Amino acid sequence: MGTRALVMAAYLLLPLPLAAQETDNENPAGKVVYDRWCAGCHGTDGRGEGPGALTMLPRPRDFTRALYQVRTTGSGELPTDDDIMHVINVGMPGTAMPGWEDLLSSQEREDLVTYLKSMSRFFNSSPPPAQLEFSNAPRVSDDRIAEGAEIYEQVECSKCHGRSGRADGPSAPTQKDDSDLPIYPANLTQNWRFNGGGTVEDIYRVLRTGLDGTPMPTFSDLIDAGVITDDQLWNLAHYVRSLSPEESPRIREVITAANVGDGEGGLPTSPTDERWETVDKFYIPLVGQIVVKPRWFNPRVQNLWVQALHDSADVAMLVSWSDPSRSPNEEWAPFAQQIVEAMGPKDEGSTWAPGAPDQLVVQFPLTLPTGMERPYFLQGDARRPAYLWSWRSDHDRAVEMVARGLGTGQEQPASSQQVSAEAAWADGEWRVLFRRSLATPDSTSDLQMPRATVVPVAFQAWDGNNGEAGNQAAVSTWYFLALEEPVPVTVLITPLAAFLLTAVLGLVVVTRAQRREKEIPGRN
Amino acid sequence: MRFWPKEPFWQGVAVLVMAFLLIVFGIPYLPPLLGIPSAPIPNSVVVQYMLTALVGVLLWVSDNQTRWQQFKQPFHAVMVEERKKPIRMILLVLLPALIGFIAYGRVKPSLDAPPSFRAIHPAPPSSITFQGRTIEITGLENPLRTRGSLDDHYEEGKSIYYENCLACHGDLLDGLGHYSHGFNPTPLSFQDVGTIAQLAESFVFWRIAKGGVGLPNEGGPWNSAMPAWEEFLTEDEIWAVTIFLYEQAGKTPRTWEEHAEGGEH
Repeated sequence: MGTRALVMAAYLLLPLPLAAQETDNENPAGKVVYDRWCAGCHGTDGRGEGPGALTMLPRPRDFTRALYQVRTTGSGELPTDDDIMHVINVGMPGTAMPGWEDLLSSQEREDLVTYLKSMSRFFNSSPPPAQLEFSNAPRVSDDRIAEGAEIYEQVECSKCHGRSGRADGPSAPTQKDDSDLPIYPANLTQNWRFNGGGTVEDIYRVLRTGLDGTPMPTFSDLIDAGVITDDQLWNLAHYVRSLSPEESPRIREVITAANVGDGEGGLPTSPTDERWETVDKFYIPLVGQIVVKPRWFNPRVQNLWVQALHDSADVAMLVSWSDPSRSPNEEWAPFAQQIVEAMGPKDEGSTWAPGAPDQLVVQFPLTLPTGMERPYFLQGDARRPAYLWSWRSDHDRAVEMVARGLGTGQEQPASSQQVSAEAAWADGEWRVLFRRSLATPDSTSDLQMPRATVVPVAFQAWDGNNGEAGNQAAVSTWYFLALEEPVPVTVLITPLAAFLLTAVLGLVVVTRAQRREKEIPGRN
Repeated sequence: MRFWPKEPFWQGVAVLVMAFLLIVFGIPYLPPLLGIPSAPIPNSVVVQYMLTALVGVLLWVSDNQTRWQQFKQPFHAVMVEERKKPIRMILLVLLPALIGFIAYGRVKPSLDAPPSFRAIHPAPPSSITFQGRTIEITGLENPLRTRGSLDDHYEEGKSIYYENCLACHGDLLDGLGHYSHGFNPTPLSFQDVGTIAQLAESFVFWRIAKGGVGLPNEGGPWNSAMPAWEEFLTEDEIWAVTIFLYEQAGKTPRTWEEHAEGGEH
C-alpha cells in the first residue's frame, strides 16, 4: 500500500464532484459498446453482477472499485490505459474473458477504455499512473532455475502454490478474494491458464505488480527492501515457467496404447513406476457438466493426462490430474462449503456433503459401436448403455458399472468385477492406474477390447473438496483409445515391390537412352 | 525479366512453382477482401489445381517442335551425359524411394478415430411436443416479434444467454466460449453465415428446445452435447433468446416465404 492507496481511501470520503458525473454522460460511444458486449457479465452498472456472473468464480471484474489484476503499475495503483486495452485485446486465459481484438474496432475498444475508467471515481481524482520499470529477461539456464527454486521457498510461494506448484500449499484452503469468495491459487504447472499470460515476462510482471483484488502480493517491495534482487526475481520467474511444459498441450483425439510385448517386465503395475515417464501422455481437457440438472459451472479438475499400454492379455491405463487435496479432508471442508454456497444460487440441488470423495470415471460404450453412433457422452442412454470404470478415493478401488444415463451406474456383482485400480496421491497430483484384461468372461456386461481396434473412451472427474458430487462434475466428450499392434513385416512387401519396380524401370529407360545416344550421337 | 529462365524446361518449372505459391499462399488472402474469414486450401484442391497447371505447361511446351525439343533437352542430358552422372544416380535412387515411401503410407495399418460426419441442418419435424404440448413448427414465426417491446425481449434473451449459453457459444457468439475446447463436435458459431443466418426462427426454436438428444435419427450420428433446453426454459424464454441471437450476431432470420422459395436445405 503506497500513498496512492491512502489518497484513494481519503477520496472515498469526499462527495462525488460534478466533473466526474459529467464524464459519465459524456461518453455514449463507449457505453453503447459496453452495454452490448460487456454488461452480460460485468453488469450494466459495472459492478460485476451481470446475468452471467453467477456461473463464474472468481466473479467478473467490478469496475467501480478500479481494482485491476493485470497491470504494469505498482500494487494498489490504477492500471494504465494500455493495461486495460491489453486485457480487452487478448482476454484472460483460464477465465471466461475472451479477447475482443477481432470483434471490436480499435475506436470501439478505445471508447470502451474511457468508459470503463469513468465507472470509478479513482481515475478522475488521481494523476495518471506510472508504469513500473521492468528489466529485460535474462537468458534461462539451469543455474537460474535452480536458484529460482530456492527463492520460491524463501519468499514462501509454496505456502499457497505448494512445493510442486500444483496449488496444494497449506494456506490454499483459506484463500479469499476481495469479494470474500473462495479463490484458488494458480496451478503453476499449467501456464496456458495463467490469467495474466504464461510467458516468463508475464510471470515476472505479475511478480512485480501482484494481482490486485486477489491474495497474490507484489514482490517489488522485497526488492526495494533488499531482501532479493531484481535478477533473483527473474530467476524465480524462470523457475515458475519451468514448472509448465515448454509448449501448451495439444488436444489429440486418439490415445494410443502401444503393445509392450509379453517379454520381461510386462506392463507397469504401479502408478509411480518410472517406466511411465517414457510413455506418450495425452491431454484431455475437462469442462463443467452443464447439460443435466443440477449443472456445475466450477469444476476443479480442468484436465487429465492419459497414458496407456497393453500386452497380449491386458490393458493398463494411467490417468493423472492436478488435485490440491486428497478428499475427504477436514481442512478443506469449509472451503468446499463456501464453493457450494457461491455456486448454489445458479443451480440448486447440490448433493455434496462433507466427506465427499474424489472420483474418476473412465467411460466406454458397453459394446463396440459398429457404425459411428456412440452412446450419449454422459454415461450413455437407454438404447446404448455405457460401461464404466469408477474409482473413488474413499474406497481406494475401482468397480465396473453399466449406466444408462448420468448417475444411473449399477455396480456389477463382486463375482464379475474385472478391473483393478491402484492410486497414489502426492504433491497435489492423483495418479490412478487401471488394469483390465482385454477379453473378459462377462461378454454381455463388459466391453470386449479386441487388439488393433479403436475404442471410444470418455472421462468424468470429481473433487470432493471442491463441493463436487453427483451430477456436479468435470466431464469430457468422446475420445478414442487405439490398441496398437507392431507393424507386421508382410506390410513391407508392397512398398518394396514398388521401389524395385520403379528402380528397374528407371534403369531400363536410362540404358536405352544411352545406347541410342551411342548409335546416333546428338539425337534428342 | 532478368530472372526469367530462357529454357522451356525451367520456364515450365517456374510456372509450376509460381502456381503453387499462388494457390497455397495467395488464394487464402482473397476472402478477407470481401469480409469473409479465410481458411487454408485443402490438399485435394491444391492437387487438382496443380494438375491443371501441369497440363497447361505441357500443352504450351509441346505447342511447337523447336520448343518441345528444347524442353526435352534437360531430361535427355540427365540420362546420357557423363558429367550429369551424379544427378542421374541420385534420381535413380530417390524416385523409387519416394514411390516406395508413398506405397508404405498407403498400406501401413493405422488406428484413426472413425470419421464423424455432421449434417449441420437436419430437416425439422412439422411439429414437436414441447413440455407436453404440441407445437406446430411448419409456418411458425417468433410470436414475440409482434408482441410487447423488442428491446425488452432482447434484454430478457440476453440474460438467458449469459446464464446458460455463454460457456459454450461464447461472448462473441463464435462458438468459442471458455468451455468450447471440452466438446467434440465443437459448439456452433452464430457469426458463421452457415448457421442461424440461413435458418427460420422456428428451426432455431426446435434445436434449442430439443438439443442434441432430440436430433432425428436419420442423418446421424450427432454426438452433440447441446442440452434439451425445454427442461430449463419456458417457450417464451426460448423465443426471447432467439431474438437475442439474431440481434447480437447482426443476422436476420429466414422467413417461411423465403423458405418456400428456397426449397429444402
